[in-house]
Amino acid sequence: MIELRNVTKTYWMGKSRHEALKGVSLQIDTGELVAIMGASGSGKTTTMNILGLLDHPTTGEYYLNEQDVSQLSHNQQATLRNHSIGFVFQSFFLLSRLDALQNVALPLTYRNVGAKTIKKQAMAMLGKVGMSEWWNHRPNELSGGQQQRVAIARALVGDPNIVLADEPTGSLDSKTGQAVLDLLIQLNKTEKTTVIIITHDERVASRCPRVVKLRDGLVMEEDG
Amino acid sequence: MNVKTNIMEALDNLFSAKLRSFLAILGILVGTGSVVALITSSQLATEHALAQFETMGTNLLAADVQPPQSGIVSSQQQTSALTLEQMPEIQRVSPQIVEVAPYITLFQSIYFDGEAVNGGQVIGATVALADIMNIRIAKGRFVSYLDRSNPYCVIGSSIAADFAAKGVSDPLGKQIQIGDWLFTIVGVAQPWASNWFFLADVNKGVIVPLDVSYSLSQYAKINNLLFRLVPNPDIPSVQAMVLRELKKLLPNHNISFRNPEQIINIMKNQQATFTWLLGSIGGISLLVGGIGVMNIMLVSVVERRREIGIRMAVGARRSDIRRMFLMEAVVLTLFGGLLGIILGLLCAWILTEVTGWEFHFLITPPLLGFVVSVLVGIISGFYPAHRASKLDPIETLRSE
Repeated sequence: MIELRNVTKTYWMGKSRHEALKGVSLQIDTGELVAIMGASGSGKTTTMNILGLLDHPTTGEYYLNEQDVSQLSHNQQATLRNHSIGFVFQSFFLLSRLDALQNVALPLTYRNVGAKTIKKQAMAMLGKVGMSEWWNHRPNELSGGQQQRVAIARALVGDPNIVLADEPTGSLDSKTGQAVLDLLIQLNKTEKTTVIIITHDERVASRCPRVVKLRDGLVMEEDG
Repeated sequence: MNVKTNIMEALDNLFSAKLRSFLAILGILVGTGSVVALITSSQLATEHALAQFETMGTNLLAADVQPPQSGIVSSQQQTSALTLEQMPEIQRVSPQIVEVAPYITLFQSIYFDGEAVNGGQVIGATVALADIMNIRIAKGRFVSYLDRSNPYCVIGSSIAADFAAKGVSDPLGKQIQIGDWLFTIVGVAQPWASNWFFLADVNKGVIVPLDVSYSLSQYAKINNLLFRLVPNPDIPSVQAMVLRELKKLLPNHNISFRNPEQIINIMKNQQATFTWLLGSIGGISLLVGGIGVMNIMLVSVVERRREIGIRMAVGARRSDIRRMFLMEAVVLTLFGGLLGIILGLLCAWILTEVTGWEFHFLITPPLLGFVVSVLVGIISGFYPAHRASKLDPIETLRSE
């Protein structure tokens, strides 16, 4: 379970103060599929960074599995990211030098796991996203949809509590985007992973049972 | 992540930027190579010089007599000097003395056929000098005790070569003029390897019987003695006994001693200084190589910002990122270092082939080169690695 309690985030740009989040409270249960919507500047990226433990809230608390994780050290954040959070990015962000299997395996290499186990788990995950036969291909040899599948496999391979997908269909055509979205929804059901999709696309949001809308750093409305 | 994975990953990353890695390696290669080559050749040169010296034997001792300053002593003392007749007496002071060679060196104008002879230094000597200093005769014979005061002389190989150039192929029996005297050449010496022990150059010298040299100049005095001792002599004790005897014979004279071991030690010291100097010059090029590695690693950090961000997002700690870049720098310099060691040894070997010194493998320079290149890798890799680890994943992952 995830809970944000009255989270604010203030940035200082020189002497000017910018309040990205003005008090966001949010509760997401395990296994939920949630879309966070909002125009640019609404605070959705900041929300994602805080949920993804890439940033600290200025005030407020963030509970992840009943633990307050709002003010962890860099190392504690990294370890928790490694075990509890999977990222899916708009531009895939695969490492171009590594093949599909090595890309999927990347989170596991930062755990104390043997090379054989890593390979086995990564291969199994590639199978779940339907990319087994492409395991030894590098990203530049794969289509956008295939790359995003590999990225989803990388997000899920460490068995995280939350998958954070930032505009996962943003750089794909609508048909491929649909397929990738289908995959995320299916994995949410079969793997019981909490999936949070950050998007400004109504069609993406409409596929999610719950939609949280942000505007000017505040939660405006929740559907679902 | 274990060390093996780290190294594999570093190799993988370095391979993907071949040209850049190659350039960084080149800097370290040249640096390590010069350290290894310079230190190795310096040490081999030392050994070569010492070997030359050691063939002469360490059972030698030289005593140099310096007359007191004139004006502060009486005229009676001023004229006192060692004589040939005192030699057996001096030899008897220690059973460890096998042979004594007194000699006199004089600078006199030497003429042959009306022309001045180049360089000629007159050495008044007995046959013992030839024995101790290993002066061999190419033609004729050495001057002898039996020559008494007959004006016979032996010429050095350089002088003989000069004569040959003037068309005198057989100088035996010819006469040369030393001062106001005419001397008959009775022998030609073989080329003689100079050493720092006997202070005259036999090759450019004219050797005359010691007795005869007295007549050449009023300054002809026995001021130098060479001793050949038994093998493995107790040099300090011999020295003390000779000193006591000479003090008795020549009060008020300054007497100093030299022996090969002393000179070898001085040489070793000088060569050690020289090795340090050369090593430092090599070190400077290694430093430049290290700066090259740092530069290239910094570029690499900038170019791989995105990768660093991705790795951090999937759970790499700052220390993981730091270790990744540090490992790359170390693998890079290690590779350059190993190649540099090979190159350096090759250069040293070529040098020995050219100079005719003896080549053999010395373990210290390659070991030093290895350790230093790894250190350079760690030092030059640390700052870029630190910079990489301090990057903010949010910044690096911001969509373009």
